[in-house]
Amino acid sequence: MMRLASASHYLHTFREDETLPSLDAALKESCREHVRRVDRFIKLALIGSARCAAHHTLRRDCAVYLGSGFGPIGSNIAAQEQMFRDHETPSPYHFVNTLGSSAGFHVAKNLGLTGQNLFITRRGASFMAVLTAAAADLALGVMSQALVGVVEEVNLPLEDHRRRRGLAPETAVAEASHWLLLEAGGSGGRPLELRHFSAMAALEAALLSSAGPGDRVRLAQGLEGDGVERLLRRFPQDPEPAGHDDLEAAWVCGLAAGGAQRGLSLADGGPGRGYSLLHLGA
Amino acid sequence: MQSVHLRGMGLSCALGMDAERCVSGMLDGELPRTAVRLDDLREPVEIQYYRIPDGADLSDPGRFEHLLPAVTRAAVEGAGLTAAELEALPVFVGSSCFSVGQAEHAYRSAFARGAATVPMPVCDYDHLARLAQQALGSRGEIWSYNTACSSAANALLGALRMLGLGRYRHALVVGAELANRTTLLGFGGLQVLADEVRPFDAARRGMVLGEGVGAVLVSTQPGPAGGLRLRGGSNNCDTHNVTTANPDGRSVASVLRQALAQTGLAPQEVRAIKAHGTASPSGDPAEAAGLKQVFDSLPPLTALKPYLGHTLGACSINELVLFAGALERGVIPATAGFETAVTGLEVEPLRAVVPAPDGCYLLNHLGFGGNNTVLVLEKGAP
Repeated sequence: MMRLASASHYLHTFREDETLPSLDAALKESCREHVRRVDRFIKLALIGSARCAAHHTLRRDCAVYLGSGFGPIGSNIAAQEQMFRDHETPSPYHFVNTLGSSAGFHVAKNLGLTGQNLFITRRGASFMAVLTAAAADLALGVMSQALVGVVEEVNLPLEDHRRRRGLAPETAVAEASHWLLLEAGGSGGRPLELRHFSAMAALEAALLSSAGPGDRVRLAQGLEGDGVERLLRRFPQDPEPAGHDDLEAAWVCGLAAGGAQRGLSLADGGPGRGYSLLHLGA
Repeated sequence: MQSVHLRGMGLSCALGMDAERCVSGMLDGELPRTAVRLDDLREPVEIQYYRIPDGADLSDPGRFEHLLPAVTRAAVEGAGLTAAELEALPVFVGSSCFSVGQAEHAYRSAFARGAATVPMPVCDYDHLARLAQQALGSRGEIWSYNTACSSAANALLGALRMLGLGRYRHALVVGAELANRTTLLGFGGLQVLADEVRPFDAARRGMVLGEGVGAVLVSTQPGPAGGLRLRGGSNNCDTHNVTTANPDGRSVASVLRQALAQTGLAPQEVRAIKAHGTASPSGDPAEAAGLKQVFDSLPPLTALKPYLGHTLGACSINELVLFAGALERGVIPATAGFETAVTGLEVEPLRAVVPAPDGCYLLNHLGFGGNNTVLVLEKGAP
């Protein structure tokens, strides 16, 4: 049985006229040493992971699973502009920060970790992807502790960000860093179970039979298959909290980090993502 | 964890458009390097490169659409999967570029039209997995791994573990890297590129990049011919420096020991090692230092980047296909370009092919971000 030892939740929804809020104070609080030459995506990862790990003893082989729908947008833009607008070579700073392994490297370095370190993406479902990978490795005994996070960066102006994301004008846009600290076995924390199904019908049956009367239930954005309408009638959904790529991470980590003691169930599924049911015990 | 069978392979790289041709070219010692000139910079550059001989313009944003389906079909054909198995087939992709080439094309076009600012398209990480799915008619789960040069090795490790847990019976694992400006100029800016690639040689000066699309079909069930198996592997993170491995080799040694422990192997049971071998001045010594800490006496060692270049996030699958293809032909490939050993390095890659005995082989991968992954491949009866 997997257990949730800790959660952290950072979600900032942008006003139309807002500039990027400084992360420097939070970064200083989060990092053991001064961190140089890191972009906003990495700063978000550092802050979220450190907050999740605060007050917990991490083993050196604690694994890091980082997910993101769009990755380090700001560094990619800077590198592209240097090449195609300025006809220059991208700066090493921007180039290195575009790499998928850079954020995980800085998280591991800051927290003193040397274990497995992965960046996995799945559009709209990166949270479930990294959670599934971590759960598999915990079950196999690859390690006994895992930091699982999802980071989404926003690059201003919002109008450009919405265009590159294919979002309608006025859609709420948020940057985020959501993290869970998971452990295999033990008795601390809250039990977290992740089950997988080959079809929507099996997921529907499992959710209907397992969700307790006091549980909060979320049907993931993009959940597809026969039975979704029935589930929506049975479990009416709250309005979406904000527009970033993985609302499920915001929902789970927000409630878990906020101290909500009720059980949580999250149903996710559709083509390319399988069918999964996460249950966080009360 | 149970062994997983390597049921099919596909590859297009500088050596050729299909896996058989690529393996033959490697064993024949071909070094199909070419020069790529980038004229539209303030300071034009010429870079040595290993390009896929598909005849297309390197900046053509549609190259993945032509190359990736053929490679994935080659990996799956002959495996005898049923229509239902194909439809459920999960696709794991490891890449360091994904669709950045398409984003570059859109960005370049917009600036050429005179736009003052352009909202650069985001990199679509799912694109390559969807292409593979479309080619095969699959609707299974997709997984995209982006951990620099160990991306495809980690995708393969992820697939092996899901198979080991019984989540899937078969999985397609793709490594994909095509030429793009960001990579060519990014590595150029780091001043790690050279004109030739000579792993572990005294005259090594750096790496030569390349492109390649490789795919393997892995399965819990053996194929008709028995074939090769993947026993597992391990990944860790070296936090010494984001772009250079710790020269003391500790982290490389650690991931090697983890892989051996995870697969129940003693060092003396390893028949040979396919090194990462980028030929960079700092990378090869770190890898050599790690190997020497684990092996009292190094087994035969080879490095394959002289044949196809460093294909970055795809290199582990591309080199696995080449290495496995050689093992199937009964040999361990030589390291082209290796002539003079480095004093103090004590690592000498094979100068000529040698017979490949049954047993286990290590495949080593080191990526930026300190991302190290070792895979264990087994030949012969279990």
